[in-house]
Amino acid sequence: MTVDNGRATATFGPTMLTRRLFVACAALLAVSSWAGRPLLSPAFAQSADAGAAAFIQKLGNDAIATFSDKAKPRQQALDQFRTLLYKGFDVPYIGRWVLGRYWNEATEAEQAEYQKLFEQLIVTTYAERFIEYSGETFRIAGTAPEGETDTMVTTQIVRPNGPPINVAWRVRKRGADYKIIDMVVENVSMGVTQRQEFASVVAQNGGKVAGLIQALRQKVGRAG
Amino acid sequence: MQGQGRTAIRPEFALTEKSRRTMKLASLSRSLLRSAAVAAFALSVTACATRPADSGADAYAVSDPLEGVNRVVFGFNDVVDTVALRPAAEVYVTIVPDPVRDSIHSFIDNLMSPIYIANNLLQGDFEGAGHATGRFLTNTVLGAGGIADVATAAGIPNKPEDFGQTLAVWGVGSGPYLVLPLLGPSNLRDTVGYGVDTVGDPIRIWAYANDHKTLSYVRTGVSAVDARSQVLQSVDDLRRNSLDFYATVRSLYQQRRQADIANKPAGAPEFPDFTAPPAK
Repeated sequence: MTVDNGRATATFGPTMLTRRLFVACAALLAVSSWAGRPLLSPAFAQSADAGAAAFIQKLGNDAIATFSDKAKPRQQALDQFRTLLYKGFDVPYIGRWVLGRYWNEATEAEQAEYQKLFEQLIVTTYAERFIEYSGETFRIAGTAPEGETDTMVTTQIVRPNGPPINVAWRVRKRGADYKIIDMVVENVSMGVTQRQEFASVVAQNGGKVAGLIQALRQKVGRAG
Repeated sequence: MQGQGRTAIRPEFALTEKSRRTMKLASLSRSLLRSAAVAAFALSVTACATRPADSGADAYAVSDPLEGVNRVVFGFNDVVDTVALRPAAEVYVTIVPDPVRDSIHSFIDNLMSPIYIANNLLQGDFEGAGHATGRFLTNTVLGAGGIADVATAAGIPNKPEDFGQTLAVWGVGSGPYLVLPLLGPSNLRDTVGYGVDTVGDPIRIWAYANDHKTLSYVRTGVSAVDARSQVLQSVDDLRRNSLDFYATVRSLYQQRRQADIANKPAGAPEFPDFTAPPAK
């Protein structure tokens, strides 16, 4: 949300510009930042749950430490991704939430197979991105309470190429543990996206969860 | 079941904070509001007429009454993308160096500033208009005519506002989801908005008045390739990982628009506790 002003000024510091241009620059920036200030108000002024932010910080550090090592065999990296995934995310909860009202319409056997396939889909979708880690860093931009039980931890992921990405993590506390239950990338909830996609697949298969399971089987079979 | 109550609050019909602010300005801009009200009414009527009575029991069900036609157009766009736009974007990324592409991107975007400023004003968002004007001045003067995005580096990020968002702030419903040929995902309201932005674009008006139509076409082409080049990897990922690419794009579009209109993240979904799941 906020951009480091100090760093920006350094990039466009006086050494690069003549004095007159620098004065003009400073004046214009003063005007624009005055104009822009109300939009940059601290939306995350009060912190909700410091533990949730610490949890995200640690998980992110672990992920970077794990995938920085490029010499690692592929299978080992995949296993470590799965470990981190379960440490950080409540995968069964997300799977069930994403299926929405169709969860109750599925048989127990379908629910079990769906959950297995859902986990494989997550792994095939995201593992590659982590294994191909190429120097991204992140910083926690803020925390805010969300709903009655959760904390939204906002992070900014800084990439070596391209503009930074804003990702918010919805964290739920269960006993002493924290788990991520949704991930919001540039204001788009991955949970909602997947839920709407799955609903569409079920609808196209005559409202049958079996159709979704079939599609998932093909997807993870082909990609994995 | 979950969040049944949420279905009743259709975000596009809810009065936003901004539209309330617009109302405070009623005395200043009565005639503007009158025409806005007419437009809003006309569009909401169409929207209601095409909206199915029951949008589904699921709070996250999407309204897409024209899905059949939309999927056909989506398929057509996909072919155009595969054979023309994506390859063009790949060539562009390969042969044009990063800093040059950044400059082109900033330059194109800076040319859109008059539209952003106007739409902020139409939404009654004077802070936003000041912000957009500050960006425009900063980048035009210090950014050498817009080829350097000095403003973003100085902590004034880009916040595009288009006429579709303006209509939404005025209370116009989105209407049915539409996939436009070549232009991609939209809805009835945003299609109208796109038309108004295009017709009202000062650069286009200038180009047409001075017989520089070719420049206008070049800009459109470069914008398309530039926009596509920004999302090469994300779109490839999405396409590869989707079970239903059409539904994924529809969901992304609608969520992004909601956040853009509200200028903040859309209302977070409800995540009920499943610790006591219903039998079966």
